[in-house]
Amino acid sequence: MSGIARKGTRYLTSLVLIIIINFTLPRLMPGDPVKNLIGEDVYVSENVMEELRAKLGLDRPLYEQFTSFLSDLLHLDLGYSYHLHAPVAELLLDRLGWTLLFVGVSAAIGAFMGSLLGALAGWRPEKKTSRFTGLAFVVLSCTPPYFLALLSLYLFSFRLGFFPSKGFYDAPEIGSILHHLFLPVCVMSVFSASRNFLVMRGSVIQEKEQLYALYARAKGLKDISILFRHIIKNASLPIITLLALDFGFLFSGALFIEIIFSLNGMGTLIYGAIIGKDYPLLQGAFLVIALTALIANMLADLLYGLIDPRVRRPA
Amino acid sequence: MKQRRNFTKSGLYRGLKQWLIFTVLTIIIYSSIYPAGAAGPESSEEKLIPSNGGIFDSIITYIKSLLGEDEKTQGSGMVSEAATTGVQQYPDIERFVLKIATPSIIKSSSFLGDSNLGVFAHLSNPPLMKMDSDGHLVGQLAKSYEVSENNTCWTFYLRDELYWSDGEPVTPEDIKFSISYYGKEVPSARWINDTLETIAVSDANNSVTFKFNKPYTRSDLEFATYNILPAHIWETIENPVEYTNNGPYVGCGPYYLKLIDLNAGKLVFEKNLYWKGKAPESETVEIHFYSSVDVATLALKKGEVDTYYKYAGSYPYAGIEQLEETGNFDFIEKTDIGLIFLALNLKKAPFSDPKFREALSYAINYEEIVRLETLGYGEVPNRGFVPSSMENFKETEKLEYSPEKARRILEKAGYIDSNWNGIIEGEDGKDIKLKILIRPEYARTGELLEEYLGQIGLASDLRTADADTWIALKDNYEYDLTITRSTPWGMLMHASWGSGYFDSRRTGQGVMHNLDDPEFLQLCDNILATTDPEELEGYAYEIQDYYAENLPAIPLYWSSIITPYNRHFEGWHTDPLYGIYNLDNFVNVRKIEA
Repeated sequence: MSGIARKGTRYLTSLVLIIIINFTLPRLMPGDPVKNLIGEDVYVSENVMEELRAKLGLDRPLYEQFTSFLSDLLHLDLGYSYHLHAPVAELLLDRLGWTLLFVGVSAAIGAFMGSLLGALAGWRPEKKTSRFTGLAFVVLSCTPPYFLALLSLYLFSFRLGFFPSKGFYDAPEIGSILHHLFLPVCVMSVFSASRNFLVMRGSVIQEKEQLYALYARAKGLKDISILFRHIIKNASLPIITLLALDFGFLFSGALFIEIIFSLNGMGTLIYGAIIGKDYPLLQGAFLVIALTALIANMLADLLYGLIDPRVRRPA
Repeated sequence: MKQRRNFTKSGLYRGLKQWLIFTVLTIIIYSSIYPAGAAGPESSEEKLIPSNGGIFDSIITYIKSLLGEDEKTQGSGMVSEAATTGVQQYPDIERFVLKIATPSIIKSSSFLGDSNLGVFAHLSNPPLMKMDSDGHLVGQLAKSYEVSENNTCWTFYLRDELYWSDGEPVTPEDIKFSISYYGKEVPSARWINDTLETIAVSDANNSVTFKFNKPYTRSDLEFATYNILPAHIWETIENPVEYTNNGPYVGCGPYYLKLIDLNAGKLVFEKNLYWKGKAPESETVEIHFYSSVDVATLALKKGEVDTYYKYAGSYPYAGIEQLEETGNFDFIEKTDIGLIFLALNLKKAPFSDPKFREALSYAINYEEIVRLETLGYGEVPNRGFVPSSMENFKETEKLEYSPEKARRILEKAGYIDSNWNGIIEGEDGKDIKLKILIRPEYARTGELLEEYLGQIGLASDLRTADADTWIALKDNYEYDLTITRSTPWGMLMHASWGSGYFDSRRTGQGVMHNLDDPEFLQLCDNILATTDPEELEGYAYEIQDYYAENLPAIPLYWSSIITPYNRHFEGWHTDPLYGIYNLDNFVNVRKIEA
């Protein structure tokens, strides 16, 4: 079996497992499965309960229930949140859009900035600027996100008055959105960059001692070419893994940032669902996060193959 | 070495130069987009033309898709479509926006499904009744009401000149529709369906009469909580609890709910042009949600919001000093009618023994709890449970901290440490180990309690549970002691004065239902059978005496509700049920030069 087919099978199996777990979890939990499917502390009338029982077909054989569950999934019907009074797919889609905007952009900026600065710092670690950036990013990566977010909000929003303190916008206009998201995106980018910086720096320090780097230098290549044409390629493999993880969990949001900046993102949605035992929403969120993690890992696998020929080579 | 120098001096500089150019370009592009947001809504349209910058086009298109093009509106009753006749002409005064910060976040734009939204909508859809600052129930949409001698018929006479924000008059039919609608459609209001026999309306005297199938004496209080809805709009909505809409919603208060914007984290109320009552000065009222109270405090300090509101809660005591230091704030302080108390499992030993309860009441250091939990904004409670701010409060003995006294009472009642292991034994001869059940918010009080019990020779096991688990364990009586709280509504519900928490015939999320003493149950029934103020006063005193004597629960502290408000505004007052969130405030608050 070829490598691609093997990987494909692996991902397909994972997908099937995710769907099966998602289906069985509320049905295996102790108590009334209808209550488990709609959430424990939801007030619904007996009529609604009966309607749901009939709709979910809980008295039918398991395979029939599973077929119906799959059909719903294919129609993007993830159930209904009785806590938030809306279909789960609609809720997730709305929050995913906003989360993608601020967490996605932050992850991208963080990856780019962290990798670039990390590579430069790793290439010449003895320089003062490298030492300083290294120290700064170590400090940043150790700072609790809640604290850094609050500090930046205090400084840039309340003291200097540069940015608004809450929400995605004041009025639903693009300028207002960019203005509101600037600070949270900066804070998250810095966090993301600090992790990527440390990984990239370590990776470059390791790679520049390899023989191919020495050979490139002996060939007469300039330092910048050695770093950006040869070393960075090999050193970026751990960054790709980190990025895959970042993007995989992108849709679980950034709870602390969302709390500080009062943003209506996935983090607070999932947190609220956990606190309120909103099982349909949790199930939907679990499915989306698992699928994103799967896709991100798949993409990382493909990227490995593109960047590193050794991965493509048969074992 | 030379090559290395080349990299440093030329390569790196070139790289940095490129980065600098990129950064400058980004700032230029950003600043060209920003003014659209900074400008007023009416001028922003033309500035929102996306650039031809490829990636920026994509981002702008993406953001536009998030904002959505089509806005749903509620029915045909939009204010803009209303007829202009009867529109209130407001004097030409300075227009301002009153902004209120709240941690009570609205999670769904379901007008009937979201409990926080239900509270805020009192401004646009006021209930029939309200509570005044002394705790008396008085008419709001109703100008007066009467009740039949057998307490089965309640007639409410509506105020004249009440209009919906779409120009339609408020009729008794609207009241009938709203109350029966809640009974039919809202699960938590099912009692209406169970007890209400008929609703009769009279256009002649602008009244609505509710006939109950048994004496029902709490209607005036119940009707202080249900928002009145326009029948001509809501009768067409099929599933009202699941109905979501970002507004506008037709209302009959001084304001109507114009917008629910969850992504901006705010509610916007605008003046109801058909309001004939006292004209509010504020053009718009905005409720701003803050997930973090620290950020809400910063927003208050900076002047982004003018006051703070949380139903059944105070502004955090720890933040008061910060606001005081600015010199821009005044504070309303009022003793909360809700309180934090120690609920006891009266169904089993040792708390089924009144002497044991008595001893426990002396074991607690109330002063210390008050100091730590309320930072001085509270007081040691009385044995009578009911806080001093509640109507018909009776002064009973103050709770006292005296571990020696507690030990003496226990010894006298036969609870002694016969095996000298430091732990008192119960009637069965085994060491008493009390199970203390708490929710995470009472962790510190729980630890203090554990310490106090230890001082009088009682072992304890502190168990923390989330809210749902707490409810399940509490309902199964799987605890000896638990720390919980009563809300203002909780103190008023059932036969009032906190009785709703203890009456064993009741159920509910925060209800302890642990007291089945016939004397207490009879007292509750007596209260529930009368609407006579004098009789009620007598029963109120009796029930407080009962609490003081039998200690079915031990109050831990009475606390104050502190509401900060910016000195640029004056005319605030508070009521025991909804604090500053009452209609009178919104029509009376004025902006002044501070």
